[in-house]
Amino acid sequence: MSTELKQEQLEIEKIIKEKQTIGINRYITQITDTINFEIKRTWKTFIIMLFVYLGIFLLSLLLAELREAAGVELPEESIDYLGDYFGFFGILIIISTATFGGGIIAEDFQKQTGNLLFPKISKSRLLIGRIISRYALNVILIAFYYLMVGIITFYKYQELPDTYIISMGWALFYTFMVFTIVIFMSSINKSKSAAIIISILLFLIAFNIIDSILMFTRTGIEPIFLPTYYENIIQASLDMPDPRFETVSFGRPGGNNPEFKRWLTPSIPGAIIGMSLISFLTLTAAYLLYKTRQSKNE
Amino acid sequence: MNENNDDILIQLKGLTKRFGNFYAVSNIDLEIKRGEIVGFLGPNGAGKTTTMKMMAYLLRPTAGEIWIRNNGDLTRLSSKNRDYLLDNIGFMIEIPTFYGDMTPRQILSYFANLKGYPRKKVKIRVEEVVRLFGLSEWIDTKIKKFSKGMKQKIGIGSAIIHDPEIIVLDEPQTGLDPKARKDVRDLILKLKQMEKTIFLSSHLLYEISEVADRIAIIHKSKLIAYDTLDNLELKSRKSLINFELIDYSKHNLTDLIERLNKIILPLNGLGSGSVNKIRFNENSKMFEVPFNGVPENQLKIHKALFENNFNVLEFSVPKANLLESLFIDLTDESYKEMLSPEREIIPN
Ligand SMILES: Nc1ncnc2c1ncn2[C@@H]1O[C@H](COP(=O)(O)OP(=O)(O)O)[C@@H](O)[C@H]1O
Ligand SMILES: [Mg+2]
Repeated sequence: MSTELKQEQLEIEKIIKEKQTIGINRYITQITDTINFEIKRTWKTFIIMLFVYLGIFLLSLLLAELREAAGVELPEESIDYLGDYFGFFGILIIISTATFGGGIIAEDFQKQTGNLLFPKISKSRLLIGRIISRYALNVILIAFYYLMVGIITFYKYQELPDTYIISMGWALFYTFMVFTIVIFMSSINKSKSAAIIISILLFLIAFNIIDSILMFTRTGIEPIFLPTYYENIIQASLDMPDPRFETVSFGRPGGNNPEFKRWLTPSIPGAIIGMSLISFLTLTAAYLLYKTRQSKNE
Repeated sequence: MNENNDDILIQLKGLTKRFGNFYAVSNIDLEIKRGEIVGFLGPNGAGKTTTMKMMAYLLRPTAGEIWIRNNGDLTRLSSKNRDYLLDNIGFMIEIPTFYGDMTPRQILSYFANLKGYPRKKVKIRVEEVVRLFGLSEWIDTKIKKFSKGMKQKIGIGSAIIHDPEIIVLDEPQTGLDPKARKDVRDLILKLKQMEKTIFLSSHLLYEISEVADRIAIIHKSKLIAYDTLDNLELKSRKSLINFELIDYSKHNLTDLIERLNKIILPLNGLGSGSVNKIRFNENSKMFEVPFNGVPENQLKIHKALFENNFNVLEFSVPKANLLESLFIDLTDESYKEMLSPEREIIPN
């Protein structure tokens, strides 16, 4: 009799303990389960993107080889050769990040998949799981690109610049910042495709126009508030320019052309602070919008 | 706590949701007991989904409380306990939609894991649920190839995947063809056999009347009735005659009613049918006779009682209550649809 009671007591204690631990345990398992599921779900996109990255690399390689075949000498420094592979890299990052991130919030409302999902997992955990999984896939793509560029550079020069890894670090940081902006776009747009297209247009056109306006109005302001500005540090960090701006002029050669100041790259602390701040603000705004968002399809 | 209370699995107390100045749900009190199927009936826009969303903690109530039983105790739902408290409920709210590129196995496994189903048993559980729905061959097929009815089944599957005690289904039959609707109905009955407690909404009476033990009717955000179907139908007859018999207690009540039925029912102008029978109201100590509301029938019934030597103390036709007027006055288009007598022929 008393052992039975004891058994019962233990059972109850176990249940109470389970209740208490459900919080933190569940928090972690739900996130890892989401990562798992999301990787399966975005796998196809990932494979397509892998081919896009490979394609751009091969095209860049082809250009380099054609140049060499035409008699143009290889650059003296491996850094300069490496740098030639980053002409389209910024666009590549934007396209893959927008593709991975465009649906991150909008999709569940657009397709109403949230109806089944949200009673089972809180929006914050879902978002964290998705950010981790999709960013991780993006990291793999970028690492893959660096690997190929590294291999070909090493093959030509038998060495890699010390700054190679640092440049990749900046690329990953920049990708994260782009990602947060795409997430923000996904939180305010109705559909996944709208979020993707608007993100791409924003980066490829809008921000660049603002950049040019700043230059031509001779404000001299360093465009630290422009997300695209930070892309420059990916390549610049291979060999930091000094000073970080240049003077350019447009017009007829030899004419009395006006000169403009063009910023080449943010400083290292500037980039860290600027990108952190932009990421933090956009992510917070996106999360707050997400939390209050509801599917209204009635 | 008395025995009665132990049976309550969900209790809504004064549940209210306001959007701006608009009340989507006002002051709803509702109890759902262990093992019963409660139908939640109301026209589109009545507030069914909003109520269920509050139960799922997807919307915060403007006022009121939700109490849910888990591990024995009735506990008030809050942000702190919602994780484990809601483990005891499975929800399918609004139309279930899936990521088309995923398979039932992938999606259901994910959901089972999210809800903390024992990891080692997830695989078996998923296969079991899919088999229950007769979709075993489709378990590894992408959901985009599924018909509406199949998706609906997987939607219900995702509600029950973690084997909760309570299942909340929002319009599970809406938009399905008759065959799929029958499948869903059978499924609900199967779940009842497994001793699940089910709360399901619909805007069509006949969908709910096929399965529900009790029906809660919501109209313009307010709960206007909560009773068994028989009682609701009884109340919804055109009129009701109430009469009191002085010496009814001398007789065996069942026999007495039997006798009254024989004498009176042919006169009530409603034809036969179980719901048209005479009832004894314990509260008022009156007998209730449904009839067609025509004065001539009322008179005939009155006469018949005297002729058969019943000592009638009181004989009245009370004014229609809210529910009756609702059922009678079908001017509102949405109610016409809701109460449509046309039942589509469902293959058996
Ligand atoms: N998020 C919302 N904001 C404003 N009004 C809403 C919102 N959700 C629902 N409503 C309104 O509340 C009422 C009840 O909606 P709902 O609960 O979906 O009804 P039902 O499920 O019974 O058809 C409707 O009039 C609907 O337009
Ligand atoms: Mg609804």
